[in-house]
Amino acid sequence: MHIADGIIDARICLAAHAVSAAAIYFAGRKTPAEEIPKMGISGSALFVASLIHIPIAGTAIHPGLYGLAGIILGKRAFPVIYTVLLFQALIFQHGGLLTLGVNALNMGAGAFAAHLIWKQKYLPESIRAILAGLIGVVVPAAMMTLEFEWTGYGQGIRYVFSIYIVVAALEGLFTWIVVKFFRKVKSNILN
Amino acid sequence: MKHAFIDRYSHLQSPVHRLDARLKFILALLAIAVLVSEPPGKLMPFAFYGAIVLVVLILSRLPVRFFLKRLLILAPFFGMAALFYPLSYWLAGTGLGEDGMQKAVLVALSIFFKALLSVSFLILLISTVKFHDLLAGLRKLRMPKLIGILSALMYRYIFIFWDETLRTNMARNSRTPGNLKMNRFTVYGNQMAMIFLRSWERAHMVYNAMLSRGFDGEFLSFGQKETKRKDIVFGAVFVLLLAAIRVFGGL
Repeated sequence: MHIADGIIDARICLAAHAVSAAAIYFAGRKTPAEEIPKMGISGSALFVASLIHIPIAGTAIHPGLYGLAGIILGKRAFPVIYTVLLFQALIFQHGGLLTLGVNALNMGAGAFAAHLIWKQKYLPESIRAILAGLIGVVVPAAMMTLEFEWTGYGQGIRYVFSIYIVVAALEGLFTWIVVKFFRKVKSNILN
Repeated sequence: MKHAFIDRYSHLQSPVHRLDARLKFILALLAIAVLVSEPPGKLMPFAFYGAIVLVVLILSRLPVRFFLKRLLILAPFFGMAALFYPLSYWLAGTGLGEDGMQKAVLVALSIFFKALLSVSFLILLISTVKFHDLLAGLRKLRMPKLIGILSALMYRYIFIFWDETLRTNMARNSRTPGNLKMNRFTVYGNQMAMIFLRSWERAHMVYNAMLSRGFDGEFLSFGQKETKRKDIVFGAVFVLLLAAIRVFGGL
């Protein structure tokens, strides 16, 4: 789901960098000192989670956990996701430096949407967790589709990205399992 | 435990390794920006950018095998992104015509080479600088303070997390020998949550230890060198080459 440098139009990348800078400012301002280790831990968890591959149907997938980041960090997920993507771009070359803003906006929007869903307390927790995990993938995939179309790709790219619906369903399931474990063992993480 | 996945060859001695980390980051970003801004349809400039990559690779004394292996891992993804360009028109049922298809193939090739060369510059950057020096350099380049603190914390915490991951992998494998058939997602989900919880406590202790030693959000790096004349000369030559390729490469 990480867009590498050279694929998306450079103007979209520059605009996304500007929006990302504003998002980092608004999401990160007035961060209490005691929140910072929590953000660092969550960032490391997201980074390491991307290294764990789950064998499935002859291939392997890795969880993105952007929905979970939205659940645990709320609006502060954006600076964390930005830092994780910077690490992934530098260390593994997953994504790029010029597309860092685009990727951060995509995943950050997914995490924010997950946060909004998680706040709907009238829904059962299992439904909220599944939907948060699911939306954490669907929103970035939809934004990627738009960015590819703006770059000049044909509308057929929508069919290609529709495959992410399957990934989103698995991510929703995975998020629910993790949330259930947290609720059982250390529920204050979810508050 | 060994953590060879970060800056594996940064300890080598070469003229490129000795350059200022900030300069290398700026030059890599500039090279990527310039080559991405190349108009699609002309492939010749990419040969010149490729020549720059080759020269820097030779100067850096990085193992060619390592470099090519990294490229080979990523190349299929770039190939797919390039292939989606003509495919996206075909899937939408909007015919391109013979001329249009030829143009689409050229655009697809441009996408592929841009992605491949961009990632080459990234590999050269991360393999010729110690990761903590690069982070210190980014902080000196006025990266947002919150991102600077988070990146420094993450650089410490990912080793804790990775150690926990290796331990829990061993525990999982010893309890579930062979391939997992049932409840695969539950097992992996619980493992992920367990790693998170176990690291949570330890990471808090690390942070408290940092605070008790006077951590105030600023990180010191003794590896950061001052910019020297040879850094400036290398940077100037690199920028001139990029400019020359951008202006004259497509002629």
